[in-house]
Amino acid sequence: MSAHLLWVTPLVPFAVGLVMLLVRSPRLLAALDVAGSLAVLGLTLAVARTVSRTGSVSALGIFRADEVAVVFLLLIGLLAMAVSVATVGWMRQEVAHGQIRADRLRYYYPLVQGFVATMLITVLADNLGILWIAMEGTTITSALLVGFHGDKNGLEAAWKYIIVTTIGISFGLFGTVLVYGAAAHAQGGVFRGAMNWSSIAAIAPRLDPGIIRIGFIFVMVGYGTKAGLAPLHMWLPDAHSQAPTPVSALLSGALIKCALFGIIRFHTIARGACGPEFSQGVLLIFGLVSVVVATPFIIVQHDLKRLLGYHSVEHVGIIALGLGFGGRLGTYGALLHAINHGVTKALAFLIGGDAMSRYNTRDMRLMKGFLGIAPIAGTLFLMGAFSLAGTPPFSIFISELMVIRAGIATGHFVAVAVFLAMVVVIFAGLIHHVGQMVFGTADSNADRGREAPTLLLATALLASVMVLLGVWIPPRVDRLLTAATEVIVG
Amino acid sequence: MSVELATRLIDVLGALLLFTMLLILAAGQLFRAIYAVAAQAVFLGIAGAVLAAATGNVDLWVIAGITILAKAMLLPWLLIRVVRRLQIAREIEPVIPSHVTFTIAAGIVVLAFHLNASLGSVRQAITGNALPVGLTLILIGVLVMASRRKALVQMVGLFASENGIFFTAMAISQGMPLIIEIGIVLDVVLGALVMGILVLRVRSSVDTDIADLESLKG
Amino acid sequence: MGGTGQIAKAVAQAGLIVLLGPLVTGFVQKLKARLQCRQGASVLQPYRDLSKLLRKGTVQSDSASPFFRAIPVLVLAATVTAAALLPVLWAPAQPATLPLGDAILLIALLALARFLLAIGALDAGGAFGGMGASREMTVGLLVEPALMLAVFSIAVSVGTTDVGMLAARRETLTLAWQAPDLLALFAMLILMLAETGRIPVDNPDTHLELTMLHEGMLLEHSGPGLACIVLATHTKQLVTLTLVAALFLPLGLARGTAPAEIALATAAFAGKVLVLATFLGLVESSYAKLRFFRVPQFLGLGLVCAFLALALRIL
Repeated sequence: MSAHLLWVTPLVPFAVGLVMLLVRSPRLLAALDVAGSLAVLGLTLAVARTVSRTGSVSALGIFRADEVAVVFLLLIGLLAMAVSVATVGWMRQEVAHGQIRADRLRYYYPLVQGFVATMLITVLADNLGILWIAMEGTTITSALLVGFHGDKNGLEAAWKYIIVTTIGISFGLFGTVLVYGAAAHAQGGVFRGAMNWSSIAAIAPRLDPGIIRIGFIFVMVGYGTKAGLAPLHMWLPDAHSQAPTPVSALLSGALIKCALFGIIRFHTIARGACGPEFSQGVLLIFGLVSVVVATPFIIVQHDLKRLLGYHSVEHVGIIALGLGFGGRLGTYGALLHAINHGVTKALAFLIGGDAMSRYNTRDMRLMKGFLGIAPIAGTLFLMGAFSLAGTPPFSIFISELMVIRAGIATGHFVAVAVFLAMVVVIFAGLIHHVGQMVFGTADSNADRGREAPTLLLATALLASVMVLLGVWIPPRVDRLLTAATEVIVG
Repeated sequence: MSVELATRLIDVLGALLLFTMLLILAAGQLFRAIYAVAAQAVFLGIAGAVLAAATGNVDLWVIAGITILAKAMLLPWLLIRVVRRLQIAREIEPVIPSHVTFTIAAGIVVLAFHLNASLGSVRQAITGNALPVGLTLILIGVLVMASRRKALVQMVGLFASENGIFFTAMAISQGMPLIIEIGIVLDVVLGALVMGILVLRVRSSVDTDIADLESLKG
Repeated sequence: MGGTGQIAKAVAQAGLIVLLGPLVTGFVQKLKARLQCRQGASVLQPYRDLSKLLRKGTVQSDSASPFFRAIPVLVLAATVTAAALLPVLWAPAQPATLPLGDAILLIALLALARFLLAIGALDAGGAFGGMGASREMTVGLLVEPALMLAVFSIAVSVGTTDVGMLAARRETLTLAWQAPDLLALFAMLILMLAETGRIPVDNPDTHLELTMLHEGMLLEHSGPGLACIVLATHTKQLVTLTLVAALFLPLGLARGTAPAEIALATAAFAGKVLVLATFLGLVESSYAKLRFFRVPQFLGLGLVCAFLALALRIL
C-alpha cells in the first residue's frame, strides 16, 4: 500500500491535467485545479506519515521516498495547494482585465498540473536518469508557462529560460552519466541498480574519486543552473518576473528547490567517494558567489517581480552555503531554509501579483500606499518582506542563523563575514523598497477593491506557516529534518 | 566483434564527431550547420550499432535506431521547417571573431584529452575515446551557443552538445538502461519542439535575432 | 641500398612526377567539364599549352631586375627537387644511406618556390602582381604550419620525418587508423585545396585579376619563363597529391627493382592520384570560391584539425 503511494502521487496531477484538457468552463477548471492540488497535498502527507513510521519506501525500483525527499515533497504539496487556491481569484481578475483569454485557460491549468507532476517525480525519483528526465520535463512545462502571456518580454524570458536551463541541465546529464560509469566500473560491469541513487550511495566509498569529482562539477553546473546559482542565474530574474504570478510562485518556491534536491543527492555520493571537503568546497563557492552577485541587483531594482527573482538567487545561495559549511547544523539549516524560503517567496509573489494588478504597473516607485488600500494584503506583504530580509520572528531568520552558526563552527570566518555584510545590505535595500511601496498614500487611480478572498486564504495559510516555523519548530518537523540531515551527512 | 576492433571503430567515429563539431563551429551558413549536426547523429547511430555488436546488448540496437530516427531525421527536419517558415537570412554572424573561437575550441579539445589521460583505471569503463570526445562536444556546443546570435544556430549548438552526452552515455560500460535513453531522446525532441514553438511565436512579434531580445536587463 | 641506386630512383621518381603533372591537371579540367555537361578540352591540352609557351618570346617589365629572369628556373628547380624526395613508386624498407626524403625539407622547398614567385611578382612592379603576391603569402602563412603539423602528427607515430620511411612503416599498419589519423586526413584534404590553388581557396581558371591569387603572380612572366612556372605549378599539384597518398594511402609501394613490383607500384600510384584528383574536381564543381576574407576562416579549420591531430597523438 505504502509503496503504491509513491507512483500514485505524481500520477494524480497528471491525470487531472489530462482531464482538464477536455473541460472548457473556467469555473470547473478552477475547481479541478484546487481539487487536484488538495489531493496532491493529501498524498504527500500520507507519504510523509509512512516514511516517518517505517523509514524509506521504494516502489517499482525507480521511485524512493526517504526523509530528504519527504521534506521537499511537503514543500511542493503545500505550495501547489496554496497557489491553486490563490489562482481561483487571480485568474478571475486576469480574465476580467483581459490579460488572459478565457479559451486559453484549458491549456494553462493542465500545464500547471503537469508542472507539479514533473516536480513530484523529480523528488520521488531514485533512478538518477528519471530524476534528470523529470527535471527536463519541468523545464519544458514551465517554459511554456513563462511565455504564456505571449508578449515580447515574456517570450524573450521563456526563450532565455529554456535555452539556458536546457544546456545547463545537459551538463547535469553528463555528470549523471559519469557517476553511472564510475558506479558500473566499481561493480565490474553493468548491474541492475546502477542508476539508482540508493545503490550508488551504498557503494560510494568504492567509487573512483577522480571521475566523481569531474561528474560532481558537471552536476553542480547543470542542476545549479536550474537552481539559479550564480554565475548561471541569468535566466532567473527574467523568467520569474515575466511568468504569470502563480507560476512565479511555483518557480521560485518549488522548482529551484527541486534542483537543489538533485544537487543534494549527488552531494551525498560525492561525500562518500571523495570526502566531504571537495563537494562542500564547491557548494561554498557557488553559494557565496550567488549571495554576493545578487546583492547589488537587489538594491537597484525597480521591477517588483525581478526584485523577488534576485532575492531567490540570494536565498538559493544561502542554502548552498549551508550545505557547503556542512556538518549537522549547516545541513539542517539548509533544509529548513529551503522550506522557509519556499513558503515566504510564494507568499511574496502572490501578494506582489495582487499589488501589480492594483496599480497596473510593475514599477515599485509608482506604487504607494499599499497598506492603505488593501490592509490585509499589505500587512501580509510587509510580513513577507521582513521575513525575506531575515528578521525575527519569521522563519527565515531561524534558518539563516543556523547557517551562520554552522559557518562559524566550521571555521569559515571570511565567508560568514561576507555573508553577513551582504545580508545587512539586502535588509536595508529591501526594507527601503517595500517601505516606499507599502506606506504613504495611494494615488487615485489605484484599484481600491477588496482583496480576492481566495488569495487571502492562500496567503494567510502561507504566512501562518512562516510565523509558526519562526517561533517554534514542531517536534514532527524537527524529527523529519534531523532524519533528513542524517541521510545526507551520514 | 572483438573489443579491440570496437574500440578502434569508436575512436574513428569519435574523430568524425570531432570533425563535424568543428564544421558546425566554422559553418558560414545555417543549412551547413544543420547538415553537420544530422551527420553527427548518423555517426552516433553507427557508434551505437558498433557497441551493440561488441557487447551483445540488444538495447543498444534499439537506441542506435532511435537515435538515427529522432536525431538524424526528425530534429533536422524540424529545424529546416522552422527555417523555411521564418525565411530568415541564411548567413550566420559570429559575435566573437572566428580565430578566437577556433583557438578556444582547440584548447577545449586538448584540455578534454589531457583530463582523460589523467584518469586512472576507471577509463576502462568507457570504450575508446568516448569520454574526451563527449566532453569536447558538450563544451564546443556551449561555445557555439555563446558565440552566435541567431536563435536557430543556438539550437544547433544545443543538439550537438546533447550528441556528445549521448556518445559518452552509449560507450559507458554497456550503455545506460534503455528506458533512460529513450526518455532522454524524448526529452530532447520535446524540448526542440517547445523551442521551435517559442521561436515561431517570437518571430510573429519580433525578429528572431537574439540580439534584439535584449530589453530585459538589470 | 647504395647511394647511386638511391639517387637514380629519386631522379626517376622526379621525372615521373614532372611528366605526369600536366596530365593530372588535364584530367581535373576534363572532369569539371564533364560535370558541367561540356565536352571539355582533351586531357593532353596542358602539354600543348606548355609547348606553345616554349615557342613564344619573352617580354619583361622595365622595372624588373635581372634576377627576374632567373626566377622561373629557380621555381621549377625547387619544385622538381621536392618531387625527388617523395616515395612515388619506391618506399625504402631500411633507413637510406642518403637523407633524401625529409618531409621538412619537402615543405621548405615548396615554401621556397612560393616565396620566389612572390618576390618575382613584387619585383616586376605591377599592381596585380603585388596584390596576388600578398594574398598568396597570406594563404601560405596559414597553410605551411598546418602542413607541418599534419605531417608531424603522422611522423610522431612512426618515429621519423623521412617521407619514404613513413610510407613504408605505415603500409604495414594500413588498417590501424586512429582518431588523430582521421583528423590529419581532414586537415590535409583542406590544405590540399589551398596548396593546389583550387576552389574554394583560389580559382585556377579565372582571368579576372581581382580574383587571382596564384595567377596574379604569373601575370608578368611570358614565353619559356611562363612555361617553366606553369610546369612547376603542375608539378607542385602532383607533389601535394603524392604527399597525401604517401601519408594516408601507402599501398602497393615497391621495395626492389623487380618489374612486377614496379608495374604494381605504378598502377597503385595512378589509382591513388586518380582518386585524389577526382576529389579535387568534385570539390571544384560543387563549391564557389570564398571571399578572400573568408579564406583564413576556412584554412583556420584545417589548422585546427592539424593541430588537434598532433595534440591527440601526443596525449
